[in-house]
Amino acid sequence: MIDDPPSAAELLALVRAAWERDFASLPAEQRQQQAALIVRCLAIGERTLRSAGSAAVIEHGLAQHFGMTAPEQRLERLAAAIRAGAYDRPGPAREGILRLLWAITLRKLALSNPAFTVGIGEGRG
Amino acid sequence: MFLAPSALARLIASELRADRAEVVEARRLPGGAVREHWLVVAEICGGACAGRHRLVLRSDGQTPLGFGLDLVQEFALLRTVHGAGIPAPEPLLCCGDAAIIGKPFHLTRWVAGEADAERIVAAGPNDALAAQLGRALAAVHAIRPPRLDLSFLGAPPVDPAMALLAEYRRRLDAIGEKRPVAEWGLRWLARNLPAPAAPVICHGDFRTGNYLVADGALAAILDWEFAGWGDPDSDLGWFCSRCWRFSELEREAGGIASRTALYGGYETEAGRRLDPRRLRFWEVMAALKWLVVALLQRDRFLKQGERSLDLALTGRRAAECEFELLRLTAGEPETRE
Repeated sequence: MIDDPPSAAELLALVRAAWERDFASLPAEQRQQQAALIVRCLAIGERTLRSAGSAAVIEHGLAQHFGMTAPEQRLERLAAAIRAGAYDRPGPAREGILRLLWAITLRKLALSNPAFTVGIGEGRG
Repeated sequence: MFLAPSALARLIASELRADRAEVVEARRLPGGAVREHWLVVAEICGGACAGRHRLVLRSDGQTPLGFGLDLVQEFALLRTVHGAGIPAPEPLLCCGDAAIIGKPFHLTRWVAGEADAERIVAAGPNDALAAQLGRALAAVHAIRPPRLDLSFLGAPPVDPAMALLAEYRRRLDAIGEKRPVAEWGLRWLARNLPAPAAPVICHGDFRTGNYLVADGALAAILDWEFAGWGDPDSDLGWFCSRCWRFSELEREAGGIASRTALYGGYETEAGRRLDPRRLRFWEVMAALKWLVVALLQRDRFLKQGERSLDLALTGRRAAECEFELLRLTAGEPETRE
């Protein structure tokens, strides 16, 4: 629920369909591009399988702030609170929410593109 | 798309006032997430354009993104831009008749050069190219309202930043997902709006990958479908966004050079000093914009059924934009100018 769609399962199904449908018939240049996309999908699938635990930690953090509601409702409440300005002022509440936002974002990037965070150290809370 | 070479050849002959024309080659070009591109080689007989010509046919992709200029509008804008001496493909003809290739398209003259962002960045740092891009962008921004030839763009916004912010908020709401980091970015932008700028023509997608490089120099600026009236600093923020540096993060100007090179070229041509605070605002806005576009692209797969690996994976790039929103805004003082 924390992870962005399409899910790993959807990506793997798309890879299978692309492979079965037309991969072999593509011109060489397009085949090379398609192969690179297939590799990225497979890598996301692999990383998702390996990382089931870290999402639970984030869900726990959300539950601490927004109670034991459905996961979708926690994200909805967090988004609504930010829009309403609940975390505009510096202080512990803002710092806590920032840590949570970073955790959500880094979790997503750890699956989709871990290289994107290389070399960035500042401001992650 | 189907391509009927004989129908296309007749159209080329008619529009270019030739005796006849023949399409001797037509092949799909790689790239283009929103629109399709074909190389068309035409042999033209008679008239002022007689000879063999390499042309680029541009048409809509399989499913629409939902915003930006249509092909007819983009063609008209290209005429203005090319006529102003800005390096852009020369527009030759525009066709709204679906009988030729099944959908509207336009043809421009082929410009030789490299557009692949990975290869451009891999060629190494190039301050001269960045300065050239800065000068060319300033020339684009010299096109200001009122312009009768650009009336299809509508009235220029009174406050371009506020207008864009409202549009992206509306689009995110319409997408219908609860994204707390996007809300964080929206909130920061709303609280840090710069003073309104006089609107100019902005390219709207000015980045590495959307220009051609030949022998290390700028050959043409491509892909004008997101052009419109806006704040000139928005194009600079987009160009320098971390999302468009293609792994060369230290080269902050599009992965090709320092900001100094790009800004220097721009300031020389534009005759104004750039304000780092405004540029920072527009870099945050760039991250939000790419987030919206990435989600819309993804929804062509998720909601419109276009079975594309590229579109599906673009949805997973939304987190890169959110990373940027947090990196640029978290913990920073928030005061309106």
